[in-house]
Amino acid sequence: MTSIVSPSRRAVLRTGLAATSLVAMPAILRAQGAPVKLGIIQPVTGALANDGDLGKLGAEFAVQDINAAGGLKSLGGAKLEIVFADNRSSPEVAAQETERLNGEGVAGIVGGFASGLCATASQAASRYDLPYLIDVGVADQLTQRGLKNTFRFSPSFGMVTKDALQRLVALNDAAGKPARTVVIVHEDGLFGSGLAKLLQAELPKLGFEILETVSHPTPARDMANVVLRIRSLQPDLVIPSNYYGEFVLLARTMQQQRVRPKGIYAILGGGASSLRFVKEFPQAAEGVMDCNHWPDPKNPLTAELRKRTEAAGRAFAYNVPMNYSAVRLMAEAIEKAGAPDRLKIIEALSTQSFASGVMPYGQSKFVNGQNTSALPLNTQVQGGDVKVIAPPDFAEAKANYPYKA
Amino acid sequence: MTARDLAPVLLVLGALAALPFLGLSGSGLNFLVTTLIIALAGLGWNVLGGFGGQYSFGHAAFFGTGAYATAVLQLKFGWNAWGALAAGIGLGTLVGLAIGYLSFRAGLRGSYFALVTLAFAEVFRILANTADITGGAAGLLLKLQPGLATLQFADRRIFVLLVLAFVGLALVASRWLERSRFGAHLIAVRENEEAARALGVDALAVKLGAIALSAAITAAAGGLYVQYFLYLDAGVAYGTWISVEALLAPIVGGIGTAFGPLVGALALQGLGELTKHLAGGIPGVDLVVFGACLIAVIAFAPQGLLGLRRRKRAATAGA
Repeated sequence: MTSIVSPSRRAVLRTGLAATSLVAMPAILRAQGAPVKLGIIQPVTGALANDGDLGKLGAEFAVQDINAAGGLKSLGGAKLEIVFADNRSSPEVAAQETERLNGEGVAGIVGGFASGLCATASQAASRYDLPYLIDVGVADQLTQRGLKNTFRFSPSFGMVTKDALQRLVALNDAAGKPARTVVIVHEDGLFGSGLAKLLQAELPKLGFEILETVSHPTPARDMANVVLRIRSLQPDLVIPSNYYGEFVLLARTMQQQRVRPKGIYAILGGGASSLRFVKEFPQAAEGVMDCNHWPDPKNPLTAELRKRTEAAGRAFAYNVPMNYSAVRLMAEAIEKAGAPDRLKIIEALSTQSFASGVMPYGQSKFVNGQNTSALPLNTQVQGGDVKVIAPPDFAEAKANYPYKA
Repeated sequence: MTARDLAPVLLVLGALAALPFLGLSGSGLNFLVTTLIIALAGLGWNVLGGFGGQYSFGHAAFFGTGAYATAVLQLKFGWNAWGALAAGIGLGTLVGLAIGYLSFRAGLRGSYFALVTLAFAEVFRILANTADITGGAAGLLLKLQPGLATLQFADRRIFVLLVLAFVGLALVASRWLERSRFGAHLIAVRENEEAARALGVDALAVKLGAIALSAAITAAAGGLYVQYFLYLDAGVAYGTWISVEALLAPIVGGIGTAFGPLVGALALQGLGELTKHLAGGIPGVDLVVFGACLIAVIAFAPQGLLGLRRRKRAATAGA
């Protein structure tokens, strides 16, 4: 009887230890502040896996840095903790994963990547007043739905195209107007079709003549016919708008067939400012210009992020600095809210201004959910690297235009 | 049909209707809505594929038409959501009749019919991707406006009940196929079209009736999808994903049975959620596990999950 009831010395020690650690734990947690959970949602499987993988990496770098620098100061040094969700490049999975993140008690969500994925996820989050910071979904409507919880860090499609056209005119004027004729090559999806329509309306007003608009599906396996057409039309300027694979194919085919217009000017180009393209096909990439998301080259952190990305075995693209900066902004919003309280974070995001990490946005401020300071940069591949050529405040190199090898 | 035929339907519906009121989390509710919408699309596929033996790989054509009509009529023409949904179902039916007439008249069967339906869905996808009225590749966003007239509910339990009502109607239609003369004709065509025609069955009319009913049910699923997620683009509406989901659910659950698609959708989506938690941090592992489970089901239960039960019953009866 006694042998059953009385515990052994060892058992007493063990439970005693467990009990003390249980009692001591909350004290430790209180001293440091309970960790704040942050939802990161990216497409790491499916068609957009490459982008999602880089976005995730950027978010992880940000959390590492924030925690290494002492966590969230106004919350007693509370650490940030990532709860990751894979939206599988599919809108309904994005909604379901947002529900899961809510169930796990995240204070906010950062990410999404593509417009459709951001649309369903931010809407699902709005049911719970869960702050949602879009990294790069560009569709203008995303912030026009009256969702109070949804904010976009990067410039919208309308903002990018406006800047892209202005800078194209400035570039051409500065060089003595060498380009007059244009061929547009676009994929028949979101970026391509929308952009082609806009260019067809705007370019003639700016003094350019559109010789032809060529569309192609994604994926496309062969660009020979497109390039032959460009060759016969002899345009001064080629404006491509397509995804990574097709853009690379187009640039390579143009190089093979020795079609060299005065400039290749991509807008939100899939490959033009990806270092993977530059590294894999340096000759085809040389001279290609792009108006796209890009970090401030004069910020020393940009070079550091690039080194860390390469150390992780990936080629640098804008997804890394974009998500790095977006997560830092969300952390600042939580700090300003003073608590991981969703409504207070939304309040902070909609009324205050924030540092923009390594992105060239100065102080980010949200009006109706859109960061009005967001700004795309113009880049050109020069000497096997991506260099910023406009606007002047951020330029690190002069534009090679009209292109001379 | 007698009350005995309908009793199981009511029982299953009652059980599913009670689920949301047992304190299901948001994640659970969302899972239930998505699964029921896929089950509804699967029930539609099952009418033509299961009972009629005409395997379609392009039910996205109906799903997408239902979805786009529901969204476009509201957004561009200011229709009431209920009217738009009804019109979406009507248009989906018409698309079904048109595809059916063209392919059945040409005598397409088996893989040829499957390929033609796949091609139709792809053509619709490309058209929707470029047309202005469908919002092109940027897609359409319905405004979030909870209310009875807009068919959006702040309380998602009501939406579960709404989808469940449609699933109920589709189940009743499936039960009716199991019992009615039309259903018997359809099954006769599936088993041997020449023999059925020799016995005086108008095979073309029967198949057209089946594809119309099938398309209507799947179009309803599309309309409900857009009412729930409030977002639609060509890849969602006419993409191959929904064609595959619509045929996987009945094949896994039990092809040509009334409850097969529902059981299949619940099992597949449930398995998908479950494997997500098993995968840990490595992306894509859950999909590998999901695929392996799917192969196992096809290998060990070729008649589907309901067929497994039937086989067991037959085995015990034999012994």
